[in-house]
Amino acid sequence: MLKLFETETLALSELTEKQTAIHVKDFSVWLNNNAVLNKISMRIPKNKITAMIGQSGCGKSTLLSSFNRMNELNQKYAYEGEVLLHGRNIYNKKENVAKLRTQVGMVFQRPNPFPMSIYENVCFGLRIQGETERRMLDDIVEKSLRNAALWDEVKDRLFDSALLLSGGQQQRLVIARALALNPEVLLLDEPTSALDPLTTLHIEELISQLKKSCTVVIVTHNMQQAARVSDYAVFLHQGELIEYSDSDSLFTMPSKKQTEDYITGRYG
Amino acid sequence: MKRHIELNTHISGKFNQELENLTNSVLTMGGEVEQQLINTIAAIRENNASIAERVVLNDLKINSMEVQIDDECMRIIAKRNPTAGDLRLIMTVSRATTDIERIGDEICRIAKLVTKDSLPPSELVLSGMLMIAEKVVIMMRGTFDAFARQDERSAVAVYEQDDNIDKNQKELLKQTAIEMKKDPSEMQRWFDVLWAIRSLERIGDRCKNLCEYILFLTYGKDVRHSSMKKTVKKLMK
Repeated sequence: MLKLFETETLALSELTEKQTAIHVKDFSVWLNNNAVLNKISMRIPKNKITAMIGQSGCGKSTLLSSFNRMNELNQKYAYEGEVLLHGRNIYNKKENVAKLRTQVGMVFQRPNPFPMSIYENVCFGLRIQGETERRMLDDIVEKSLRNAALWDEVKDRLFDSALLLSGGQQQRLVIARALALNPEVLLLDEPTSALDPLTTLHIEELISQLKKSCTVVIVTHNMQQAARVSDYAVFLHQGELIEYSDSDSLFTMPSKKQTEDYITGRYG
Repeated sequence: MKRHIELNTHISGKFNQELENLTNSVLTMGGEVEQQLINTIAAIRENNASIAERVVLNDLKINSMEVQIDDECMRIIAKRNPTAGDLRLIMTVSRATTDIERIGDEICRIAKLVTKDSLPPSELVLSGMLMIAEKVVIMMRGTFDAFARQDERSAVAVYEQDDNIDKNQKELLKQTAIEMKKDPSEMQRWFDVLWAIRSLERIGDRCKNLCEYILFLTYGKDVRHSSMKKTVKKLMK
């Protein structure tokens, strides 16, 4: 039978180990002795965009920051289970956390450029890694700014302070900073909640371009954004994974009533 | 005020692609249905049952297209939250596919005249049917062209062709009644012929619906159940 529309998304059940970027196995987290995540198991596909949705406090940001061990900055933190990044358990004792965070970049809700030039912001991570060759740095800065769709706007003022950029530009700069380290995974924690609708659409378009080079996981409160931008979506509620599927199915025919209630605004 | 819907100007390149694919899919479906009618005419003209059987089988493909396009409309509405012209486009596509699928069903009914060996025993009625069918093909082609170009003037011109088809159909029905009286032993066959003539006329009506959707798409005004003359006067001064 003639197929009119091609779909890019594989069913999650068909996902092989090779197509999996992050494999979460029975992962639980306690913060200040409160259970925040309860035995989450999921496979995040490679080179796709996965969105996490759920009410405030449902554990989506905690799960996101578990993927580069940012949660450990909290002193009363305990976990159980495994998170495999391309097959490697990132919670093993020998894991180099600093290196892990270059492989798994993160962008936060509010843009946080460093008080230095645009150029220095982008190559900050590389300098810390010991890279000093100017030509190499120039190339990487240009490539990262291009990939973050910011190059044309800043190419003539690379040495101006990054703090002079607008909110949307700062957020793209922060994305460029993460891209400069050539991450395998990019974690975005509500990257557009402080931006206007048009800039939001530009960032979303940028995100959908980024999946060509890395796996993207995004946490968002904006349901429409999750629907627009994601290939897969996961709905969390009170630390439990309620539903995880390709976002076409989740937003048109969710399998759980709880998900349907949440995405249609009937919850609570 | 007329607004041409530009499919490729969204910030999201993927959304542009989705809308373009959706529009193309309707045209693919329309082209398929047009070919079905052309094949049916050939089957009737040559009294060729194998062509007619192929037409009947091919209707499954058209049914599947309707389901796929409807699914895609639902998916886009859920994921993209379309508004204004984009929303009208999706509503138009969804309504149009229902009409095109029904056109497919009508064509099947006509093709079954050949497979059931029910072609009219009168040469006069047969040629009258073929003449209407040819006019319907022209009307259908014009409809899909107008849709592809979002051309409301062509849509109105095509819409008006239906009057002529209706007139021809009425004349043909009269002629058929006369022939039926001459040969009452073939009543079942004549009933099938009457249904087929009605089907041809219904295809014309469905094309009219599609033309109304084109006006809805370009002007944002729902012109169903209203006089086309007044609509034209009001919208296209």
